[in-house]
Amino acid sequence: MRTLPRLGDRNTESRDREECRVAQPDQSHAVRPVVAPYTGRTEIDLDVVREMMSHIKYDDFEEAQELILHACQEVNEHFGWVSLEAAEVIAEHLGTSATRVYAILSFYADFRTEPRGHHHLVVCHGVSCYIGGSQRIIQMLKDDYGIEDGDTTPDEQISVQVVNGCLGVCDCSPLVKLDDEFLSHVTPESLNNVLQRALAGREAMRAANEETNG
Amino acid sequence: MVDTARGEQLTRLTSKEDFLAFQKRAVDRWTDMWEGQKTLVSVGVGTSSIAKGALEILDIARESASNDVIVREVSANGAFWMEPWIEVKRPGAAPVIYGHVTFDAVAGVIAGDREDLAVGTRSDQDQGTIPSLSKHPFFKDQMQLLTRNAGIIEPNSIEDAIARGAYQGYFKVLFEMTGEEAVQEVTTANVRGRGGGGFPAGIKWESGRKAKVHPKFIVCNSHEGEPNVYKDRHLHEADPHRILEGILIACIACDAERGYNYIGGEHPLAIVRFRKAVADAERLGLIGKDVLGSGKDVAFRVRTGGGAYICGEASALMYSIMGVRGQPRTKPPRSVEEGLWKRPTVANNTETLANIPDIIVNGGEWYANIGTEKSKGTKLMTIQGPSVRHGVVEVEMGITMDKLFNEIFGGMPEGYEYKGVQTGGVSAGPVTPAHFDRPIDFDSLTELDGMLGSGGFVNFDKSICAVDFARYMTAFSRYESCSKCVPCRLGNPALVEILDRIRFGRGSLEDLALIRRTSRHIIELSLCGLGQVAPVPLLGMLNTFEEEFKAHIVDGVCPTGTCPISAREPAIAAD
Repeated sequence: MRTLPRLGDRNTESRDREECRVAQPDQSHAVRPVVAPYTGRTEIDLDVVREMMSHIKYDDFEEAQELILHACQEVNEHFGWVSLEAAEVIAEHLGTSATRVYAILSFYADFRTEPRGHHHLVVCHGVSCYIGGSQRIIQMLKDDYGIEDGDTTPDEQISVQVVNGCLGVCDCSPLVKLDDEFLSHVTPESLNNVLQRALAGREAMRAANEETNG
Repeated sequence: MVDTARGEQLTRLTSKEDFLAFQKRAVDRWTDMWEGQKTLVSVGVGTSSIAKGALEILDIARESASNDVIVREVSANGAFWMEPWIEVKRPGAAPVIYGHVTFDAVAGVIAGDREDLAVGTRSDQDQGTIPSLSKHPFFKDQMQLLTRNAGIIEPNSIEDAIARGAYQGYFKVLFEMTGEEAVQEVTTANVRGRGGGGFPAGIKWESGRKAKVHPKFIVCNSHEGEPNVYKDRHLHEADPHRILEGILIACIACDAERGYNYIGGEHPLAIVRFRKAVADAERLGLIGKDVLGSGKDVAFRVRTGGGAYICGEASALMYSIMGVRGQPRTKPPRSVEEGLWKRPTVANNTETLANIPDIIVNGGEWYANIGTEKSKGTKLMTIQGPSVRHGVVEVEMGITMDKLFNEIFGGMPEGYEYKGVQTGGVSAGPVTPAHFDRPIDFDSLTELDGMLGSGGFVNFDKSICAVDFARYMTAFSRYESCSKCVPCRLGNPALVEILDRIRFGRGSLEDLALIRRTSRHIIELSLCGLGQVAPVPLLGMLNTFEEEFKAHIVDGVCPTGTCPISAREPAIAAD
């Protein structure tokens, strides 16, 4: 489910209602085979990129240039990252150069030029989360997993992105988004638990796959 | 799939009369719905409530609803502290809002036997034991003009919006007044830019109107990159048509060919809802050639950003729209002379433009009566950090800080004590509780070294170290610097370095002077707004909590125990 049981000791109106979090089914992040489905999106299929580009239409070069950012976003959203080859396809479709596209990819914080891990972790580092202790979470990821903003673990399991802006769920701070799930009131320990479960889930799935496929 | 919740196919309206007829149908349908014999169940869905399970609740409500129930997906209403919430309107009764709804409770809430979850009724009268929301401290002192539809209309339905008065101002500008008159109303209203600068919108519009080069553009700046503001996102999610109408009015008034809205990529729901609004308006013929037979053409484009804070700066934003790196340029020429694609461009903040429809409909005089002498109208404010109630509120300018922080937001939760409140996002200094009797408007906060800016406030309590907090904010500016000009690119890392020195217990008293000197360089020599305010929060912290800085340096302790100086083992600088 969406949120973790309340972990902080904060006493606020929104947090008083324990049942809001705890009573909801499937709340506890109990061990499940897979936390998030395997996306299999580490490799970028250029045909898919071309297909995506065919939906992006423009009348003149001015409009084409305005759409570079949009095109990058589409690809980044679908695959989790944009490769140099994909950038070339984008450039070709919009009649510009790959350098231009890559300049954008390397400037804007949302874009990744390396594949994500199988689990993508987004750590909110807005002011609310900072005050709630997101710094300790970032430190934990660095100490225990050796990853910082933009990194992926060597086994390609977990990648992390630290959001300098705000994810906008400030009364649940500190907040972390693991794949599509929001985890609220996160502490380093609770996040570590969830990550371990996610990894175990993946390991379990891989073992099952190997069994069936030999 | 039907076009709107009500189910009318949207077809192009070609004349004034067409629009009025459509409006009448929409109003009738709206009234029928609210006065009809069906139970209305509205689930507030916004970015923040989705994180708390609002979409699942919407699904449960839809599954469990009988034929007598209409389930609506409305937007968040700003009260994030009671999410996820459901509003139930039973025939013949006032709508009741239930907060903190769990999945198990949905059926009970709809059936009407979970009065324990009721927060209040959305009417002036109490209903039995359920008090009126207008008496709730969170809503009591709000003045909802821009957010009047938040949590009431379905943001994906243009009919709902029109039934609640959307596009009336646009209609007026198209048929009943000239461009000059519209600009005049905005000037009379004296609405000031809501993005931080507080520059009067009327003056901008006037120079935009006077520019003779065509095509001209209107750009709405909806990029919120600050780590503590979410008002524009809320506005987009709650009432996208209001923003769209504001931009379209600006296009007609300034005789501009095309309107743009640049939305930050970090707000996917806002983008989806706004795009839907634009698509619906296009289908109705409110955007396009010969709008409603008036002979006027307006084009519209939605552009999205890629998560760079600097793109909130007008010239950087325009570069970002043009598909290059968002880096500010030197001015002059100002963007009203040479902006997007080297054409005259009027750039306004979302909240500013969202004020426009009401100003046009009710007149500038009406608007000028709201607020204080120099700051007119209302302002959206957000709170972060430990607080009893989180959310977006809309209050009249000039409200006292005490009222805002302690009554509306409920003050600090138990066990926390105010150390101060950070103002103006990450571009201004903090205020301490000693100043809570002061009013909030553009000018009074500046006197306190604070800034109203975009209206984002952060409570911080006694467990927060001023040095560490200052470092956090300086590190943000360092990270978000676009690296174009030297003072900002090198100055901010230097400041972080000095602060780290202090945090690790290796600082000296000269460092404080060095901070002030370096900050002055950055402030005076930087090219754009980001650089010019980057060291301000640090300076504010230093001025307000100088003792704490000195404790680190002289006594070698961090009073709150946050900084590595207080740890036995040498810690590593955290990023």
